[in-house]
Amino acid sequence: MAENEKLKKSNLVYILVYIFVPIIAIVICYYIYAVAEVIGAAAVALIFGPLVFAALWWVILGKPLYSMRTKKMEKELDGAGFSRNHTFVADGCTVIVDQENGKLAILFRWNPFRYYVFPASRISKTWVNDGKTGTGIFAGSSRVSFLFLVDGIKIRVNTFISNRRWAMDHKYILEGISKADMMVEVLNDARGN
Amino acid sequence: MGFLRKMRNVFHDDWCSKCQSEMDVARKQLYMLPNMRVGHYVQHDDAKFYRENMIKVDSKQEIPPGIYACGMHVYRCPVCGHKAVKLSVFLPVRDAEKQEQLLYFDKGEMDDFANSL
Repeated sequence: MAENEKLKKSNLVYILVYIFVPIIAIVICYYIYAVAEVIGAAAVALIFGPLVFAALWWVILGKPLYSMRTKKMEKELDGAGFSRNHTFVADGCTVIVDQENGKLAILFRWNPFRYYVFPASRISKTWVNDGKTGTGIFAGSSRVSFLFLVDGIKIRVNTFISNRRWAMDHKYILEGISKADMMVEVLNDARGN
Repeated sequence: MGFLRKMRNVFHDDWCSKCQSEMDVARKQLYMLPNMRVGHYVQHDDAKFYRENMIKVDSKQEIPPGIYACGMHVYRCPVCGHKAVKLSVFLPVRDAEKQEQLLYFDKGEMDDFANSL
C-alpha cells in the first residue's frame, strides 16, 4: 500500500449498497406480492422475508463487519512487521500507532475494505476537543474526541460519545479527556520519530 | 469492637484502629502506576501489587496522560505508635482527578515499602 495515498474516509459505493440493497429487496418483493397475487406461505415469505433480510443486512454490515475488518487489519499489520504500540478503536475509525517506526494505520468504518498505513510525519496538527458547552455549573459535554490533520484532511476520533450531556467533572467525560490526551501525546511522539 | 467504633473507622480512616486516637500523617508520597492505563483499569486489593508496581514521582505533571496515579499517606498513632497506610488510586486528568479506589492497610502490609521511602 502506497504510503502517500490520499485518505478516503468513506466509500460511496459501500454506503449506497449498505442503505439501498434492503430497500430495493423490499420494493421488489412487495411488487411481486401485489402483481402475482401470491397467497399462503409464499405470501408470508414475500412480506416478512425482505424485512428480516433488511434487519440482518443493516446489522451484519454495520459494526460486525467493521470489527471483522479491524481484526483482519491487525493481523496483516502484524505480518508486515508493524509494531502495534497503541490501538484505539472508536465508532467511526480505528487508529493504530507504531511509535517505534513512527507509523500510523487507520481504518474507517464507512470505508471498511481499505485501510491506510502512512508515516506519522504526514500529520500536521493534533488536538483534543472536549465538546464543552455552557459555563460554570452549566458546563457539560456529550462528546470528547481527539483530532488530527493528515494532508489537510481532518480526522476526528471520538473517545466518548453520549446521547445526553454530562457535567465536565463526570467520570465519563474525565475518562474521555484522558484517553484523548493520551492519544494526542502518542501521535505527537510518533510524529517526532 | 463495638458498632460505634466500627462506624468511626469507616468515616475516619485516619483514626487508629487500636486505640481510636486521631493519627498523625507521618509521610505523603505520590506514585504512578505505569501498568494501569485509562480504559484498562483493574481493581486490585492486594498490597503486593502496589509494592511491585508503584513508581515514585514528585508531582502530577510527571505522570503521562492516561496513566493512573496513587497517593500514599503513612499514618502513625501518637498514643500507641500503631502504623497504617492509606492508598488512594486515581486517574489524573488535567486539573481534575477521577477517583477509583481507596485502600487502607493497617496490618503492616505496606510498612516495609513505606519505610524504604
